Amino acid sequence: MKGGGGETSKVVLGCVGAALAAALLVGPVQDFIDARSPAGEEPDLLFFNSPGLVQKMALGFEPLLADLYWMRTIQYYGRRDDEGRRRESFGNLYTLLDITTTLDPGLQDAYRAGSCFLSEPPPVGAGRPDLALELLKKGARAHPREWRLVYERGFVHYLYLKDYAAAGDTWLEAGRVPGAPEWLAGLAAMALSKGGAEEVAVALWRRQYEEATSDAVRDNARNHLHSLQVKRDLAELRDRIERHRAATGSFPPSLRTPRDPMGTPYAYDPRSGRVELDPGSAVRFLDLP
Amino acid sequence: MNRILAIAENTFRETVRDKILYNLILFALVMIGSSLALGQLTLGNEDKVILDLGLGAISVFGLLIAIFIGIGLVYKELEKRTVYALLAKPVRRHELILGKYLGLLSTLGVNLAVMTAGLALALAYTGRAPAGAYGRLLPAVGLIFLSLALATALALLFSTFSTPALAALFTFFLWVIGHFNADLRRFGELSGSPAVEALGRALYYVIPNFGNFNLIDGRAVLQTAGYARPVEWWAVGGAGAYAVVYIALLLALSILIFARRDFK
Amino acid sequence: MAVIEIENLTKDFAVGFWRKRPVRALDALSLEVRAGEIFGFLGPNGAGKSTTLKLLMHLLHPTSGSARILGRPAGDTAMHERIGYLPENPYFYDYLTPRELLTFMGRLFGLAGPPLARRVRELVGEVGLAASADVQLRKFSKGMVQRLGIAQALVNEPEVVFLDEPMSGLDPLGRMEVRRIVTGLRERGVTVFLSSHILPDVEAMCDRVAILDRGRLQEAGTLEDILRARIAGHEIILSGWTEATPDLLRPWCSEVRAMGERLHLRADDRENLEAVLGFVFAHGLDLVSVNPIRPSLEEYFQTLVTGK
Repeated sequence: MKGGGGETSKVVLGCVGAALAAALLVGPVQDFIDARSPAGEEPDLLFFNSPGLVQKMALGFEPLLADLYWMRTIQYYGRRDDEGRRRESFGNLYTLLDITTTLDPGLQDAYRAGSCFLSEPPPVGAGRPDLALELLKKGARAHPREWRLVYERGFVHYLYLKDYAAAGDTWLEAGRVPGAPEWLAGLAAMALSKGGAEEVAVALWRRQYEEATSDAVRDNARNHLHSLQVKRDLAELRDRIERHRAATGSFPPSLRTPRDPMGTPYAYDPRSGRVELDPGSAVRFLDLP
Repeated sequence: MNRILAIAENTFRETVRDKILYNLILFALVMIGSSLALGQLTLGNEDKVILDLGLGAISVFGLLIAIFIGIGLVYKELEKRTVYALLAKPVRRHELILGKYLGLLSTLGVNLAVMTAGLALALAYTGRAPAGAYGRLLPAVGLIFLSLALATALALLFSTFSTPALAALFTFFLWVIGHFNADLRRFGELSGSPAVEALGRALYYVIPNFGNFNLIDGRAVLQTAGYARPVEWWAVGGAGAYAVVYIALLLALSILIFARRDFK
Repeated sequence: MAVIEIENLTKDFAVGFWRKRPVRALDALSLEVRAGEIFGFLGPNGAGKSTTLKLLMHLLHPTSGSARILGRPAGDTAMHERIGYLPENPYFYDYLTPRELLTFMGRLFGLAGPPLARRVRELVGEVGLAASADVQLRKFSKGMVQRLGIAQALVNEPEVVFLDEPMSGLDPLGRMEVRRIVTGLRERGVTVFLSSHILPDVEAMCDRVAILDRGRLQEAGTLEDILRARIAGHEIILSGWTEATPDLLRPWCSEVRAMGERLHLRADDRENLEAVLGFVFAHGLDLVSVNPIRPSLEEYFQTLVTGK
């Protein structure tokens, strides 16, 4: 209607203007808030930190909520600060995993990858193999027919706690689960004989790599295998340099170095006689004891 | 302006007499009261439990009040034709929207005040909270009020063009995912795909970010020793600015839709 | 002077969920209502009466055409200070009292303080709600809400009042009351535009009427003029008749019925009526009554629906 058109269209124009201005402002205001927010832990991450409470509040949406918590767990674990560094501590990691697996006990990845995140010493993981054992025990209670969860526990005993006897016992236990593979018995025997720690480690990480059902676990196993390889290579190279110096009184002018597992030659400095992993190498070296 | 105030006052009067309101407030107060009992089950931090539960109850029941009373009232007005009688008066449509919104805000404000008083009483009952905690309770509830003002504006916008059930659903849905905004963006960033990342970023800005108002929890009110995060006033101000800007956007859209609407 | 001018007013509604198609609710309506008259807007349900009123109140945007009230376009807010409107089946806030509602409505017109309080008191008295002025509306009957609806339409002492089905939901007493209020308005020189489908009410109050059917204006004028054209004969009642009388009258009557002492006759046109009356006077029979037989509005609507 033409009537009152001037008045109405003024309001309409005003509203369109206000809407546009507000729409343009929302972004900057949000950025202002974000720019000043502490980059640390978001305060609402663990608004509810009791698995039972969260489960009661899920009101039938447990599986969905479990997925959400699992995603939050992964983000929490994988998050880096502005300089790309990983966080120093993972204090909430176990609680997040506990909530996730309480909400959906069927989420096997949460037990297996979770125990890996928990066991690894900082800065890779939380350095809490004890909590990893708790988580895996919880998983085994939920999945009594899944030998892998028992096997992983032995893995934690062996590699992180260096408790070879406990590892052997656990692997024997895993071997008794119906459907468990034959090689578990061999593994248990090796562990119980305490021989050749490094070979066992390599064998274990190789198994872990082959059996892995998630990329995170597989990558971690690969990094460990690579690191073990690099360690062995460097030890051998240093041995060669030392022998050369003992024989000739000087460092070898050049070294025919083998390549590291990702195909980059090791870096050798003939003046100091130092040989190291090339800084540009694609290997993610884990300097583990 | 006079007319807007008259409409606001009338809306306030109508809503504060609604029985649902008393039921909701009663529920919230019972919940705050029961936090006293729950507080005794923990060790040493009962005032934190009381505050967390109390602030949570205020937030959730405030949302229910905003959704049910806000949407119900606007819907009733449209469906049962009160709005016909109003718009035949020398009332412009935007005055009606603004008046309704102001009225709902005052109802919400009074409710929050009652619930906050209940919470303060529960806190005083334990006698452990530091004196400053009562003062810090105000900005904590103020932030809840801002988030509810935003939710009310959403509800108002939806009820200008959809049924009350849908409007309630939309509002509640946005309120929930509005708490996961930051996660949406992070999922996008973690995905590694530029398209998904752009989508996550876009959603981050478009969906009302209710996470902005989660600044002061029970621990921050108490300023428990060892808790590193003080109440940051710039953040409270930022949240306020965000609420004002977003609400302005929603109200402008509501008015635009409402001005074009045919009242069949 | 024309107070309401409607010109070619047309309104289409889109119906259907997926494929919207327009349905014409009002088709090129043109009308004029003069100052000080009570104008009846008649039509069966769904004829477009409420649509017209909503277009006049600017609650709907017209598809085409225009409407002016008091010389101002329908959307003019300042003009709304001088009019009043009662919607069909009104509802007001459940938890307010009539006094609060009327005070609120008055404030929308910029009224305040003692003059507003006085006006509210006057109004509740006028519509017979003085005893329940402070009772919440949720305890009201439909008739009481309707009266309050009329009161709120009059709060600003309007020059033009629009009433959409003011009689609906009222008992006979309430209808009398509304008639009294409406005729009182005329005495004060207020123009009233009322829609209704109840003929006797319209007949009792309205100076002129317009009849609407399926969105089209059928007729406009005084109700007399409109229905006179449709008088379907006369009913004549006699007494003091003899046994031979019915047969003697039968040639002029389409219906002859003896009911006790009275004889009911029906003459279809003026010629037959004159013949019957001539016979009656010639034979000295007692004439009890002669009444034109008009179609009821319902019957008239029926002929509209089935085609003329």
